[in-house]
Amino acid sequence: MGRAKIKRGSTNVDMTAMCDVAFLLLTFFILATKFKPSEAVEIVPPGSVSNKHAPQKDAFTVSIDKTNRVFINMTDEIKGDVFDEMMSERHMQVTPEDRKYFLEAGFIGVPLSQLLQFIRVPTEQLKNTKFNGVPADSTNNELQAWIGAAVAAGQGKKLNFLIKGDDAAKYPAFSGVIEAFKKNDIYKYNLVTTVEDVPEGSELYKANLKAQQSETPPAK
Amino acid sequence: MAEMEVKSGGGHKGPGVKKSKKHSTRVDLTPMVDLGFLLITFFIFTTTMAQPTAMNLNMPKDTDKPDEINKVKESGSLTLMLGKGNVVYYYFGNDPATMQTTNYKDVRKIILDKKKSTPVDDLFVIIKPDKDATYKNAVDMLDEMTINDIARYAMVNPTADEYSKIQQTEKAAGVQ
Repeated sequence: MGRAKIKRGSTNVDMTAMCDVAFLLLTFFILATKFKPSEAVEIVPPGSVSNKHAPQKDAFTVSIDKTNRVFINMTDEIKGDVFDEMMSERHMQVTPEDRKYFLEAGFIGVPLSQLLQFIRVPTEQLKNTKFNGVPADSTNNELQAWIGAAVAAGQGKKLNFLIKGDDAAKYPAFSGVIEAFKKNDIYKYNLVTTVEDVPEGSELYKANLKAQQSETPPAK
Repeated sequence: MAEMEVKSGGGHKGPGVKKSKKHSTRVDLTPMVDLGFLLITFFIFTTTMAQPTAMNLNMPKDTDKPDEINKVKESGSLTLMLGKGNVVYYYFGNDPATMQTTNYKDVRKIILDKKKSTPVDDLFVIIKPDKDATYKNAVDMLDEMTINDIARYAMVNPTADEYSKIQQTEKAAGVQ
């Protein structure tokens, strides 16, 4: 009576399937990642301890670059409405073609008088083009007009007003942008920043620690 | 799967000829799997990092009515003026003549000292970035308010007196 022999299986696992899965995922992630469109104007936002994500919907962004030029970006949902509002306010005659070009343009970086030519410049060529930004000084404050148009066009929606300034932008430029917002009775803004660690031992650090502990009660 | 039938080439060799040893064509895929997952991890991390964050800023409405103007106790106020070349000037109370100089690292201690020595309701920090301060300076200082949990602060422009005093100090110190 011999005992039934236990068959010894090999411990070598076939890795091919796992390899397939890994590379499938890798391919998916690479293809699904939306690359940041290369910007004609590079802006390096300052760091802050804030960890709230910048709103991406219905966003009206005013950017200030390092030479204190002011640009306006809008998300696609509101772009068309704002354009219509602005053109009718300034009694400018525009064709549907103009509107199409405006919707495709990345940002507004020139005074209104040059806008229709500016939006026809392809994005790749913008780097070599000279533009002076949207006028935001007291004599001809077009930034204020754009904000006004956005407020009028975005009625019933909750618009998010973002300010994205460069590290090296001077404070008066920022102050001017705030002033333009204030004139339109807008007092709440989001300042776009990059993440910075909370300094250890500071009040905020302790508060965060406390919040974490109350969220996860210690296991008994 | 990763195997292939290898036909022994020229199988009809005479008896004295040595048979070439058949090697297995199975490749160990473990390092490749490692590499794949490493790349996945890398890509996942870098994509989430790129999301921009935002800090909230609420500004008060400009008002001329005297009863709507915030009154600040002199004993509880700390004024921080941001100047050229990442220098901070500060004074307590109402007298710009007592202005002192510091920088963005040491200013935290000054704010905290003031916070400790003042009743919570009286404490008020006034941030005055001047014309030569950068946007980063202003954001850093607003951040400092969050870090040190200062509930009441305001950002205003410096008065002409204060600005000229800052300029004098800057000239004397040779700040570029």
